[in-house]
Amino acid sequence: MVRAALGPPRGQIGKGPSPFAAYLPAATVVIASLLAALPIVSTSGWYPDFGYLVFISWRLLRADPWPPWWAAPLGFVNDLFTGYPIGFSIALWSATMLALDLIDRRTMWRDYWIEWVLAAVLIAIDEWLQWRVAKVVDAAPPFTRMLPALVISICVFPAVAWVVSRIDGWRLGR
Amino acid sequence: MATARPGWSRRAQYGLFFSFLAVMAGIIVGVILLILSLVAPQQFERVRGIALDVTAPVTGALHEVVATTEGLFTGAGNYWDAASQNAELKRERKAMLQRMVEARAIFQENQQIKATLQLRERERTTVATGRIVGSSFNSPRRFAILSAGTSDGVRVGMPVRSADGLVGRIIDAGAIASRVLLVSDRANIVPARLLRNGIPVIAQGLGDGTVSVRPLEVGRNPFKRGDIIITSGTGGLYPPLVPIARVVKLQDDGAIALPLADPATTSFAIVEPAFEPAAVAAENAPAETDTP
Repeated sequence: MVRAALGPPRGQIGKGPSPFAAYLPAATVVIASLLAALPIVSTSGWYPDFGYLVFISWRLLRADPWPPWWAAPLGFVNDLFTGYPIGFSIALWSATMLALDLIDRRTMWRDYWIEWVLAAVLIAIDEWLQWRVAKVVDAAPPFTRMLPALVISICVFPAVAWVVSRIDGWRLGR
Repeated sequence: MATARPGWSRRAQYGLFFSFLAVMAGIIVGVILLILSLVAPQQFERVRGIALDVTAPVTGALHEVVATTEGLFTGAGNYWDAASQNAELKRERKAMLQRMVEARAIFQENQQIKATLQLRERERTTVATGRIVGSSFNSPRRFAILSAGTSDGVRVGMPVRSADGLVGRIIDAGAIASRVLLVSDRANIVPARLLRNGIPVIAQGLGDGTVSVRPLEVGRNPFKRGDIIITSGTGGLYPPLVPIARVVKLQDDGAIALPLADPATTSFAIVEPAFEPAAVAAENAPAETDTP
């Protein structure tokens, strides 16, 4: 007998995935990009890149949260709302999809630590590229000034990944 | 996606291959757009403006909520220790009144001197007034969102100031909101001078909320802690005599200064027309590469 049947009835019988299950992951990424519209006025720029965090959280959780080519339009939306130079997130997010597919084929197993390390590397690449692009237009601070932002983003990742996994469970009706 | 074989199904193999091609196309398009937006930022003015307009109502409404909550707390705090505060304010007011009389006398004297010199007084006009409602909170660049746009007459390149001092200049303008390049951004270089002795200096943002100031003439360091830096009006973009920053730390060849107009606490910002539009137009003609 399945142990779950012994517990109180939780109204899950006959509950399927939510009607928008296929679009929910992409929608949450857009919502995370829209966090840039929050009335936060920061003079240090230490807040994480929420759109990218949610993006890689979904991709690390599942191999197919969205068709791979959706990375480009999602990145475009992120560029528009966060004020990055247009094209930055389009290229980075598409490249992330490709890189994680290759990594998926190489890794023998996955656990929380490996996911966190992967996410840390991706976040570091994101911050470094932002810094590099700012350097092109001669507007980059010394790279050491980017380190606090990097550490904060890496520490925030597990929280974002947890939220994403809860949303995933809800969208699939589990 | 890249080289995986999902089995013998031709259909599945093609599906994977085409999704790989689509992602590659995404990367290439992204890189091309990125280069375009770095080399020719004017290309994307329209679409950036539209994005600003889409988020502006949300940002503005949330800003009201935050401001009200903060106001409640600081308002309650003001009642604490009100008696001694009152006495102090009275003392300050008395001192200020004396200073005001002095200032009025100086103002009159100034006008007389200017009249004898026949200096042409330029009229200061305000294009629009808005609130600073948001900022770029996760990038090395320092932008702020202003709740005034082209419908109020705001155009790209106009200087923005608040009652405290210079805030920056407009780099993207939507219909109801615009993006401001803050004084503390690395790409923002302001011709300035020391208020104390008029020595010409250059103020450049450091990207972390502070400004680096350096004298134009290399030599001994003219700065002292607490010095006020004001705009000189050179270059024609920023109006003269607007306070920019206060020196907080001395360096070998310059100093670090804190902007006087903190965008986080600035409630209202004023957009002014470019000080010498003709000069700015001539300067911008070759290439404007300092906006993203």
